[in-house]
Amino acid sequence: MKSGVALILIRLYPRAWRDRYGLEYRALLEARQSGISEVFDVALSAMSERIFPTQGGNMERDPGSFGAIVRHPSALIPIAMSLIALSLVVAPIPFHGPPVREPDEGAIGHLWQILMAGQLPILAFFAIKWLRRAPRPALGVLALQVGAVLSAMAPVFYFNL
Amino acid sequence: MRILLANRRELCDNYVMRSTSHVASKDGQDLGHYSDPPLLVLASLASGPKHGHAMIDDIQRLCGTRLGPGTLYGAIARLEQQGWIEPLEPEDRRRPYRITADGLRVLRARLSTMNQFLQAGLQRLEPQ
Repeated sequence: MKSGVALILIRLYPRAWRDRYGLEYRALLEARQSGISEVFDVALSAMSERIFPTQGGNMERDPGSFGAIVRHPSALIPIAMSLIALSLVVAPIPFHGPPVREPDEGAIGHLWQILMAGQLPILAFFAIKWLRRAPRPALGVLALQVGAVLSAMAPVFYFNL
Repeated sequence: MRILLANRRELCDNYVMRSTSHVASKDGQDLGHYSDPPLLVLASLASGPKHGHAMIDDIQRLCGTRLGPGTLYGAIARLEQQGWIEPLEPEDRRRPYRITADGLRVLRARLSTMNQFLQAGLQRLEPQ
């Protein structure tokens, strides 16, 4: 079965089910020959799963899925730190106008630096722990974290602070 | 267990499963619907851990019935929820499952019941 078709079919299932079985189910679908009967079988099972969820919608997540990994503190904390650092620079703009470069960086500048530098060991811990266990979802989370870091750094470079 | 499992091919040949392709029909007759993909999954895992693709192939070899992927994973999810099978560490993207002690007990009980039914049914077919 083509990867795109498999992805569409898997999206018919409830999120909790996809988080738990999505990865292995996709591997199975991609390995099978596609046919009308297989597509119909998957669609019917997905509908059945939505009407009668396996564990009442409270299915235990696959610990190796993206949804489960991104909820770990080592994944969430760096993203939160970057977003706080971003808000430290961006939030005062509506009230005080664009920030200007000053010889003394001030409390906000120091706080920004602490937040950005402080997340590096957490990022390293996350990468060491999860890249071996679940490479693909971990890379997705790392991309999110890097995106958050870049978004926090963007206004600093933009305003030449 | 081995004696009971020896009857499984015979049992499977006499039923048409829900959401399956019955690819080895002996006489082309539809003998009715018997929905028990979980029993097929348990029987397949009784010979050792397998991932989904291997289970489909094994069940097809076992009794000529090809489970659809949706039906298979519907059964796997419910069997896992009941604690009758358990997941092992994934191999690449595929995750093998194995039958638990509870699962073996349930499979043994179900096959014993079916075996009794089979024996009784065959006896009735014997000329009086």
